[in-house]
Amino acid sequence: FEWSDLEPVPQDDGPNPVVKIAYSEKFTDVFDYFRALLKNDEKSERAFTLTAEAIELNAANYTVWHYRRVLLQALEKDLRQEMRYITAIIEEQPKNYQVWHHRRMVVEWLSDPSEELEFIADILSQDAKNYHAWQHRQWVIQEYKLWDSELEFVERLLEEDVRNNSAWNQRHFVISHTTGYSDPAILDREVQYCLCQIRKAPHNESVWNYLKGILQDRGLSSHPGLLERVLELKETQCSPYLLAFLVDSYEDALETNNTRATLNQAQEVCALLAQVKDTIRREYWLFLGRSLESKYGPTAAPQSDAASSDAADQQELS
Amino acid sequence: MGGEDEERGKLKEFEQIDFLKDRHVRFFQRSLQVLPERYSSLETTRLTIVFFALSGLDVLDALHVIDKDNMIEWIYSLQVLPTEDESNMQRCGFRGSSHIGLPYSSKGPGMAHPYDSGHIAMTYTGLASLLLLGDDLSRVNKRACLTGLKALQLEDGSFYAVPEGSENDMRFIYCAACICYMLDDWSGMDIHKAIEYIRRSMSYDNGIGQGAGLESHGGSTFCAVASLRLMGRLEETLSERELDRIRRWCIMRQQTGFHGRPNKPVDTCYSFWVGATLELLDVFQYTNYEKNRNYILSTQDRLVGGFAKWPDSHPDPLHAYFGLCGLSLLGEPELMKVHPALNVTQRAFQHLQQLQQAWRDNVSSCT
Repeated sequence: FEWSDLEPVPQDDGPNPVVKIAYSEKFTDVFDYFRALLKNDEKSERAFTLTAEAIELNAANYTVWHYRRVLLQALEKDLRQEMRYITAIIEEQPKNYQVWHHRRMVVEWLSDPSEELEFIADILSQDAKNYHAWQHRQWVIQEYKLWDSELEFVERLLEEDVRNNSAWNQRHFVISHTTGYSDPAILDREVQYCLCQIRKAPHNESVWNYLKGILQDRGLSSHPGLLERVLELKETQCSPYLLAFLVDSYEDALETNNTRATLNQAQEVCALLAQVKDTIRREYWLFLGRSLESKYGPTAAPQSDAASSDAADQQELS
Repeated sequence: MGGEDEERGKLKEFEQIDFLKDRHVRFFQRSLQVLPERYSSLETTRLTIVFFALSGLDVLDALHVIDKDNMIEWIYSLQVLPTEDESNMQRCGFRGSSHIGLPYSSKGPGMAHPYDSGHIAMTYTGLASLLLLGDDLSRVNKRACLTGLKALQLEDGSFYAVPEGSENDMRFIYCAACICYMLDDWSGMDIHKAIEYIRRSMSYDNGIGQGAGLESHGGSTFCAVASLRLMGRLEETLSERELDRIRRWCIMRQQTGFHGRPNKPVDTCYSFWVGATLELLDVFQYTNYEKNRNYILSTQDRLVGGFAKWPDSHPDPLHAYFGLCGLSLLGEPELMKVHPALNVTQRAFQHLQQLQQAWRDNVSSCT
């Protein structure tokens, strides 16, 4: 390309530049000419080619990407080729915001999401928790209604790593936007799935968060038999998350039926967490215990089991 | 007695838990000077690096080491001012750097350029930097900034970073809230829509994601809670039960230091993102201070200063700044207190309050 007609435009930071970056001659050249093109709003092949060079030097420069998009449209460039280009760039720099935004724009212009799920799966195979990748995936699925095989994809990822919190989040995303959790069969399927995963890997905050999340608005103590299963698991697959779930279940029960007995059970678990099972959060569990006491204590229905009524009788007699 | 001191001395040496204040001052000073080419990806966000360094020095009570007036001039040179015919009002704000190539100018009117516009995070950090340098914001074209800000808000309540379009998420809601808060003018955003976006971003696990359906994250949880606090809408938007649930989600992020998502490794900057959120929710006092402090200090670079996300990793201005803020929340003796919502020192915050009082006095004396 011929460049001699263009006057390069240097950066001007004034007399006292701050956080000045020391660029090589090559770097400075590319961007000095880029700035010249930008100023004239030149729409040409040489401008388009230069954006690729600028991107290679600094893929985080959002102005270059925007200008490239202007040129893609003005010069009616081949968007399929642009897809190949952006695929390669994202593979190299999967944690850059600009490259994902650019890909989204090209997919929208093409109205073609057909490569997306496979591409994102590949990025996730390198980093299964890449937030940009998951964000793009949710956008594609929701925009183009590509729900059909997503639950399967999530299950595959959870088989690879049952502690992948992003995958658990995606599970909730898919189900809540498709079948929903209102159908008791679905809800029970999910509860069973959780219990199964808990048995395999008990020390996993993600599965407990998911279990609590799908039940908490209906009431943790409302799912029949669940409290019993959790109390069983407490013996062999205990964890701070199980115990926290227990406390929350007891609190849920207290909301509708405030009894001393239940409150005591909740307090016992708080004490266990504070003293033994989750000591890093000792002060928090003690605080929670105090909160429960002050919220439910004063109006708790008194205990009426054999032990405490014997004690009450004895007091009366003496 | 002597034996105990000896043991403690050996422990200190082995665990390296002493805070190297002077190293950090020098680290930020160097950041403000010349950076090598490998930092080129930071070109468009240089103003945020300036903010990390300046606010970091402020937290260290060491702003005296820099030339404040020069700094203020340079920051004002990044303001995108209205052109003579005001045709670019919707593009006003602050730039991240001079990368567009306009000639240096720290006063108006604005110069017409087809691609010159402000960036929401630069407007936020530009204003915050001016503030902590003691500037009175009198050279900020507030009307232009707010017009530019309003143009960035989407129907769903979230914000773009630039008028040309970009990604949109919770980060930019926080930037918008800070801008409106500092300028004491909420006409720059539709608060109601922003609040709706925040509510929709609440996850099934009670943390808050970058947007609806997205995984809950320590950074976006901070942005959401801090924004609500700045808007003065925290208690009216979230019920006590919802607040308790967010408290629980946040407090579970502590492993030693803090991580940003369940089952992810800890990272120094979350000691601020999550720590500040806990502070805003009145429960930071129930975290384990010792483990948090020990983790942050384990990421300290004893040679060049600053902090990294992990031990034995390279420090950078962001982690250096948030590592310090994390320590400040813990009450580290040599550090200034940080306002957990606005993310500047309490001193800078008080300066802002005085400025705003003066603005209000001016308005009432005119009417």
